[in-house]
Amino acid sequence: MEIFEKLEILADAAKYDVSCSSSGSERANAGGLGNATKAGICHSWTDDGRCISLLKILMSNKCIYDCAYCINRLSNDFPRAEFEPEEIVALTINFYRRNYIEGLFLSSAVTRNPNYTMERLLMVAKRLRTEENFQGYIHLKGIPGADEKLIREAGLYADRLSINIELPTTNGLKLLAPQKDRQSILSPMKLIKDQIDQHKYEKRNKALFVPAGQSTQLIVGSTNETDYHIVKLSEALYNKMSLKRVYYSAYVPVNNHPDIVPHKVPPLQREHRIYQADWLLRFYGFKADEIVNEAHPNLDMLVDPKCQWALRNLHLFPMEVNQVSFLELLRIPGIGNTSARRIMAARRFGLVSYESLKKMGVVLKRAKYFITCKGQYFGAGDLEPLRLKQMLLDKPKQSQMSLSDLYPEAFGITTPNHAIEGETYGLLT
Amino acid sequence: MDYLHDGSFEGALTGIYQMFHNRARIETDQLLDAKTYQMNLWCSYEIVVSDRDQAYKVAKSIMDTFGEEGFKVVLYSYLYESSDYGTLLFKFLKRAYKLGGNAITCLSDDAIFNIYKLYRSVVRESHLMLGILRFAQLDKDIFYAQYEPTYDLTGIIAPHFAERLKDQLWVIHDTKRGIGAFYDGQKWFLQPIDAFEQLQFSKEEAKYQELWKRYFDHIAIAERKNPKCQRNFMPQKYWKFLTEKTFVLKPREADTTRN
Repeated sequence: MEIFEKLEILADAAKYDVSCSSSGSERANAGGLGNATKAGICHSWTDDGRCISLLKILMSNKCIYDCAYCINRLSNDFPRAEFEPEEIVALTINFYRRNYIEGLFLSSAVTRNPNYTMERLLMVAKRLRTEENFQGYIHLKGIPGADEKLIREAGLYADRLSINIELPTTNGLKLLAPQKDRQSILSPMKLIKDQIDQHKYEKRNKALFVPAGQSTQLIVGSTNETDYHIVKLSEALYNKMSLKRVYYSAYVPVNNHPDIVPHKVPPLQREHRIYQADWLLRFYGFKADEIVNEAHPNLDMLVDPKCQWALRNLHLFPMEVNQVSFLELLRIPGIGNTSARRIMAARRFGLVSYESLKKMGVVLKRAKYFITCKGQYFGAGDLEPLRLKQMLLDKPKQSQMSLSDLYPEAFGITTPNHAIEGETYGLLT
Repeated sequence: MDYLHDGSFEGALTGIYQMFHNRARIETDQLLDAKTYQMNLWCSYEIVVSDRDQAYKVAKSIMDTFGEEGFKVVLYSYLYESSDYGTLLFKFLKRAYKLGGNAITCLSDDAIFNIYKLYRSVVRESHLMLGILRFAQLDKDIFYAQYEPTYDLTGIIAPHFAERLKDQLWVIHDTKRGIGAFYDGQKWFLQPIDAFEQLQFSKEEAKYQELWKRYFDHIAIAERKNPKCQRNFMPQKYWKFLTEKTFVLKPREADTTRN
């Protein structure tokens, strides 16, 4: 099979993995090829609007597993291909020299057994670093069930390692991926975390170990998990596993399977809201229980999670932008990290005016209901939460909205609450 | 009074020096580019002759007062190539010296914000360009990139590639401004490019361009097409030089090189 066809098949097989970041690593170039920049660089945007930063391919899609959600499952009748290590090395180097990519993101279906697969991935990374003197970004997938020694060695060559959890609940995993178990995913994750901590602690140890940290991916909307399950799990992953990122992938129905439960909410919109909640966890000092809780286990699709929180906590508003602390600024809808920092900096020169807030990047159409500026309120008077919620909707959606969306209780529509028997919230079962 | 500089960065800084020296006022005095100056009968103007020492003094003062970050703001906003740059810079400095050390963070001030806006646009495009610049391998093993950025970026993106592509020879050619950055394996330098001979691509080039194009098409999820989102991140004005959007070498030639 020629390289063109292989590349097409194995790019197709890799495209449902959403991770593509190249940030967080600083690797200097000592005379060879490439380096890694802290901020990361996007090199192109595909027709679906996602960025291309890394050459994201599978080494092989000849999988021995039969997971119901996955396009590469054993029982799919599907073209199969496998790269040789030197082919991937040549592609990476030549794409990199032309500035097409920031590095390589190499994953694989499990071929033969986990150890064999991990060894093959490791071989590519090792060759790039030692033979080609390549210092660009390398993201390797950790194969669940592979030997600890291999994972540990991979960490010495890769900038980032990731092990995908895929299904947010243990029940989901049992149902859709009976050949995998939770422990084989979590234990290498723990191993990587401990190794990272250890390398940081031993300052004399100059070798880099996964300098850009580890990440994982959750599939959203293939089983009946609630948003509360997902957000709570992410929080645990960030706090207990020190993950850099959790990616969410709205499920694309690639297979027909009786156990896959389509969710009521369009998956892309749900993915978007979950990402917003994820940002609140990581950059805004929110706790999972503030965003969703057992009483309201699902995110509202109409307004963003921060607005939802603000609407539930109207007694805290309006806040005076010239007085409140940085962390309080971050809680105001329409004010983000950048604008909050700018407001703090500008406050040192005097009172910030309402007009200048716009220049600093504050989204006034949301923020105006929640702030006062020099003591003056610019919103629309004392609004009850539901009226205010209507004001906060994006314009085009307003026309599509029906009364039943705003007052679901009055119309006898309640958000589905999938309580799952025996399922615990958070990380470890 | 209108002060007219020659359009160079040095000229603009010299103009600033003389305006401060003559105690120019922000209400009445302007600093403009002589090349685009519209003269009329009633205005009085003075030609500023670029002076290296005077420009250096201004640069040093900016550096000492506002730090390297502050100087970066002044330099990058020059690369925006705004016709108002001189006057905006004068107003900016007048205000900034009053505000002191971290004046650039005082975005609620109009004089500061106007320069900051230019700076931000240049920073944005230069970061984008680090990603979407495309090199092609020539037959002499030189990697050649052609582009037409909105702002004059060549000097600020070249160091990034000098660090990254340390072991290869490359040229970044801004065909809109007729200027190029050359890297000889040791250091990079800027040089005007007037005319150049027909480029000969290496044997491998067509193959990798096609591989990249096929990869680009296959990594997208067809069910999720979102051209608006794509153009938001990567405006169409840049597509002209993107290998994945316009195939530089003819696909026919590519066929002969693969086997």
